[in-house]
Amino acid sequence: MSLICENIVKTYSGKEVLQDVSLELQPGKIYGLIGRNGAGKTTLLSILTAQNPATRGSVTLDGAPVWENRRSLEKLCFSRELNANAESGLAAMKAKEYLRIASTYYEGWDKALEERLVQLFELNTKKKMGKMSKGMLSMVTIIVALCSKAPYTFLDEPVAGLDVVAREQFYKLLLEEYTESGRTFVVSTHIIEEAADLLEEVIILHQGKVLLSGETQSFVDSACHVSGKAEEVDAAVAGLEVRHVETMGRSKGVTVFLEPGQKIDESRDVSVQPVSLQRAFVALCGEEEHK
Amino acid sequence: MNEQLTGQKSIYIQIGEMMETDILRGILLEEEQVPSTNELARLYTINPATAAKGVGLLVDEGILYKRRGIGMFVSPGAREKILAKRRAAFAENHLAPLLAEARSLGISKEELIDMIGERMK
Repeated sequence: MSLICENIVKTYSGKEVLQDVSLELQPGKIYGLIGRNGAGKTTLLSILTAQNPATRGSVTLDGAPVWENRRSLEKLCFSRELNANAESGLAAMKAKEYLRIASTYYEGWDKALEERLVQLFELNTKKKMGKMSKGMLSMVTIIVALCSKAPYTFLDEPVAGLDVVAREQFYKLLLEEYTESGRTFVVSTHIIEEAADLLEEVIILHQGKVLLSGETQSFVDSACHVSGKAEEVDAAVAGLEVRHVETMGRSKGVTVFLEPGQKIDESRDVSVQPVSLQRAFVALCGEEEHK
Repeated sequence: MNEQLTGQKSIYIQIGEMMETDILRGILLEEEQVPSTNELARLYTINPATAAKGVGLLVDEGILYKRRGIGMFVSPGAREKILAKRRAAFAENHLAPLLAEARSLGISKEELIDMIGERMK
């Protein structure tokens, strides 16, 4: 059984921010949701967790619609990116109070873990959220997500504003919680390189559409970087899906996406190198400007 | 198991190779239990499925074996197996790039053999 969304469309004032999004999130996996700013990530996460209605389409958990369904909602936690500005009404609230309110939503709230994380992050929970830095607010969202113990937990940009040590701590904590509980996590992030090895599956959202959804490893393995003298490169990659072309004088470098069974012609005098998830993502989604 | 991962190869392959290297170096002994996939996942901050895939490679090759309900162990004769495998792959993995570089630098066969002889004294 799993969380399934089918043909989700979301329109804001006539503009389709999500177009026909269908996904299946299986239990016991860590998913990465990546996409550029404005790709629709937060909208998708809020629809999957029934915090925002879809214009069209359905979201079901184990077959039952999640919208206004208390039994489903208890199993879903969407720890939003916090904005403690005047409009959000959070500015005057102490982090402690916010955590207390969050804890009342989730039956399985882990108080001991909350205390441990507050200490680990050295978070002053008596501080008003309006006085907190971006990084501190991220810590609060991480604490909510991990302590909720919700079987499906969604984290929106959990590492935004965190320093490198705190980010590493977060990745370790996520893995610790994951290996102990087998909960499903969906993490959206712009710091792709750091999270890449954590993500069993990756979902790439681009301009409101799912461009790719599948095993991270197979996606990364399907891409490679080919470079050398321009003619040699062109010959080596003839007939293949070529992206992200860069040239300098006689030299050329391209990122290639291989379909199963396709191969680079390595008899040519070229260098073939593996690419990272981040490079593959940029090659796939960063092209428009050059066209 | 404390080497660092690089971006040069798939992570699961590196996990397998690191375990092999530890067996060759006597860090992991035959008939000894190896770290669990969850332990590996936490150490390297990688998905446990990736760690499991790396361990699976070695199980397929008979370098590790599973004891039900306990975990993975180093097979008897694992060290010999790894040595044989790495020797068989030596020419392809190490000589091929060396010869390619020698060729592009115009180093002759005789010069190369001399160099090797000098180094191996």
